Amino acid sequence: MSKRNWAILVAVILVATFGWLLYGGLNKNVVFFLTPKELVAKGANGYDVPVRLGGMVVPGSVQWNEKTLDLRFRVTDDSDTVAVHSTGAPPQMFQPGMGVVVEGKYERAGVFQATNLMVKHSNEYHPPRPGEKPEEMYKTLMKGGAS
Amino acid sequence: MTGLLAHDALMVSVVVVLVGAVLGSLGIRGGRADWVQIAFGTVYANFVLVSLATGAMIYALVTHDFSISYVAQVGSRETPLFYTVISLWGALEGSILFWAWVLGAYSTAVVWLNRKRAGNLVPWASVTLLVVALFFAILLVGPANPFKPVFPVPADGPGPNPLLQNHILMAVHPPLLYLGYVGMTVPFAFAVGAMFSGEVASDDWIRITRPYLMVAWGFLSAAIIAGMWWSYEVLGWGGYWAWDPVENASFMPWLVATAFLHSAMVQERRGMLKLWNLNLMVGTFVLTILGTFLTRSGILSSVHAFTEGPIGYYFLVFIAIVLVAALVMVAGVSDKLHTTGHFDSPTSRETAFLLNNLFLTAFMFTVLVGTLYPLLAEALRGVKVSVGEPFFNKMTLPLIVSLLFLMGVGPALPWGSATKAEMKAKLLPPFSAAAVMAAIALAVGARNPYAVLAYAFVGYAAFANLREYWIGMKARHAAHGESWPVALARLVGGNRRRYGGYVAHLGVLLVALGIAASESFRAEREATLAPGQTITVAGHTARLKEVWGREEPQRAVIGATMEVVQNGKVVATADPRMNFYPTQSAPVPTPQVISSIGGDLYFNLMAFDQNGSHATVKLIVQPLVPWIWFGGGVVVLGAIIGIFPKRRRRTAPAAVRHPVPAVAVPLPSEGEA
Amino acid sequence: MNWKRAGIAALAAVPIIALFAWGFTKDPNAIPSPLPGRAAPDFSLPVFSPGQPPMTLPVGDTVRLASLRGQVVVLNFWASWCLSCRDEHRTLSQFAKRYAGKPVHFLGVLYNDRTAPALQWIEEMGGQEYPSVNDPDAHTAINYGLYGVPETYFIDGNGRVAYKQTGPVTDAILTREVDSLMAALPPSARTGGSADSAAAGLAPGTKGLQ
Repeated sequence: MSKRNWAILVAVILVATFGWLLYGGLNKNVVFFLTPKELVAKGANGYDVPVRLGGMVVPGSVQWNEKTLDLRFRVTDDSDTVAVHSTGAPPQMFQPGMGVVVEGKYERAGVFQATNLMVKHSNEYHPPRPGEKPEEMYKTLMKGGAS
Repeated sequence: MTGLLAHDALMVSVVVVLVGAVLGSLGIRGGRADWVQIAFGTVYANFVLVSLATGAMIYALVTHDFSISYVAQVGSRETPLFYTVISLWGALEGSILFWAWVLGAYSTAVVWLNRKRAGNLVPWASVTLLVVALFFAILLVGPANPFKPVFPVPADGPGPNPLLQNHILMAVHPPLLYLGYVGMTVPFAFAVGAMFSGEVASDDWIRITRPYLMVAWGFLSAAIIAGMWWSYEVLGWGGYWAWDPVENASFMPWLVATAFLHSAMVQERRGMLKLWNLNLMVGTFVLTILGTFLTRSGILSSVHAFTEGPIGYYFLVFIAIVLVAALVMVAGVSDKLHTTGHFDSPTSRETAFLLNNLFLTAFMFTVLVGTLYPLLAEALRGVKVSVGEPFFNKMTLPLIVSLLFLMGVGPALPWGSATKAEMKAKLLPPFSAAAVMAAIALAVGARNPYAVLAYAFVGYAAFANLREYWIGMKARHAAHGESWPVALARLVGGNRRRYGGYVAHLGVLLVALGIAASESFRAEREATLAPGQTITVAGHTARLKEVWGREEPQRAVIGATMEVVQNGKVVATADPRMNFYPTQSAPVPTPQVISSIGGDLYFNLMAFDQNGSHATVKLIVQPLVPWIWFGGGVVVLGAIIGIFPKRRRRTAPAAVRHPVPAVAVPLPSEGEA
Repeated sequence: MNWKRAGIAALAAVPIIALFAWGFTKDPNAIPSPLPGRAAPDFSLPVFSPGQPPMTLPVGDTVRLASLRGQVVVLNFWASWCLSCRDEHRTLSQFAKRYAGKPVHFLGVLYNDRTAPALQWIEEMGGQEYPSVNDPDAHTAINYGLYGVPETYFIDGNGRVAYKQTGPVTDAILTREVDSLMAALPPSARTGGSADSAAAGLAPGTKGLQ
């Protein structure tokens, strides 16, 4: 084999190995974006794998315990509903009835353990989303007059 | 009025640029030097016109001229003047205008400085710059027109995105990024010029381009670090890098440009890798346009996504043209590129550079594949997926660790071939530093093998790079009796490119160390506190003093004052806040960081009670984070040193050329590397 | 030039460009909205801007969605601080004027705004043909899962959301949606002017709520 062919062979082997590694890495680390319906439809395959669950927060389902920092709510796509548990304060704009994406794993107990709770925001100016009236939120504090 | 005039200026600029590009290429083909001169003139004229439009926009922003759509979109009478001015690049249309202006400035500088050079390289490069300018000019009069009239004129606007007016770094990061991104157009233009003018086989285009590439590379490096810093200080999750498409978009061109900076030296010194270099330079430019396209078109999901709009289609067409044209050109001229040198030995600097290029491009492809995979998966398999951080971390860590090691090997090895004795003398001593670093890492509790290797190789490479300085200084000191500072200054001055490069290496190593330490030793907790209660994370205790509220002209602020307590005494205070903007129902978190050389205490207010009786606060302890920002500064310093080619003045030239034999030092005829 | 190589290289670009082009047909941020096809959440909100005859409603009266059942309803969420709302205002207003007398009811819903600047805005824009109600707590907006303003909901005769437009509406969308929804109404409902439908929108006896 000529020197040139050797070089080509080495390059092909390198690229192939690299591609194979990438492909394997992707398959293992990809996070599926599912709606509650799709997650439930997966059955046993839906448990204990990383998932991004997107849907609406069911109004009236939000329970936030500020002492233990437990946040519980249900996410629905109007076909199925999944109970979600996460730790930590909800984002300020988090509101019942709004669209959210939670990242985490669906556990066999039937509760989705979220590690990340996302309410979309964008880089550019965006009109306010339904939610708290800021005025009311800080009014009381301002009356306290500190600083 | 202002709007109409500015829009007219942009319309004229479209015509001017088009005329320039057409006349220029016809002039070169037909040998009409006067036409080429006109083309040069249109480059300057375009810069004047775009400057007029940009000036008009700033004027309109400052005077709150809400009859102009962009001002009505991002302006507000309540916004402080400073943020009003920088909102020039706060949203899509303004950022395109700013982009066009930066491109105009670069093009003018390039053409002016090289206008007298013989041959067709500069004319063709000018035509390329004009074609790129044409694209942005078309955007500005079409889908991204910032000067659309608004009628009836609103009395006030919503103001810029609060996230963007929440921190001073927002004034720094975008312009740096544009200066870096747009700057990559210049080397690309010269690469195209080289291909068209037939000068592709010579290395001249690389030499002419290098200062511009260094400028762009320095800006891009600074922009990436500033972006990390901004995200760290503003977004409130205590991290600085999330492999978000927007971050990846700025990182990929940096990787390829960095590869080029190294491989260009191989071409200049050894006459190899010519086709490869051409590919890298074209690839860098394509990646900047691709990055802009990905982040501006709404095609990928990103937390930073700009709004989607018709502008995406323009970018699609442009990227298609650039991609096809670039591939066709490079493949077309590939026959002409004859390698004049060859690898003498695997134990040489060029081997280290070759591996460096291999790893950097593999790095880039990993990031590219990870970024585009969601799109691919949906197209081919119909599933919505996202590629998580674990993919990027797992795939890139081995590459990062290898690159850190090579950073210590490359500078130590000579060009051509190293003898066994040289190898031993150069490559073994740094292992002592590596062993020390690894031991420290293990002692403080690092267990991840990659983390330990990263610490070790940071030590290895730092030792090797500093040693190069030491060897050079010692030689000058011995040969000329120069004092140490003079020896250092003359050493660097005599070969700025090389020693600037080592400074940049040290900067990268500092960044790597900061990242490794803050990632492997991060500790965090979140707790709901009543005033007087404390939270303790990794030995650091903080007490909630009070929850307070305050009204400012453009916003209202809720804050929690936290006192850092040590041995019963308050040593520092932080007040993480939430800022409420009238047009935004969601508050903008404003974390507070207490930095010291050893690391950061990062406070974020997560929630609060309306009567001030308690607040939920997150405390993150991260060691060595400030080293990342400092390291970024060192990288930029390295770029600044390396920008200027070798000084023409020959101050004590002999020493550099004939130091101790073990050191690889370029011969004077071989240029600066 | 080596044209053969150049040609092969050009072909390599095709799949990448095709992928991007395909990507444009998708919205990566889409969060499934349950509303289309589902019953539109009911509301009763006070009128703050009366609109022009023949669609006027007295200021202070309360509009209930349920009482508009049997006719097509176009619900437009807007605010005075919203720039895109300016773009669509003329289109919407003129379309409403053109369709006056048909069994379709237009209603603006003010979102995250105060009525004073909103009324001033309407004056600035040269009037609004149809009445607008205020949604002071954004409760209705939340129930509709509003993403941002402007957003327009097309509700059919059975009170179901047939279509939702995020961002400014165009005349083409309005024509398409309203015409097809009106065509689907039972024949008895296809007569009757919007003045009647406006009257039907008033819950008897409720005035000046809130």
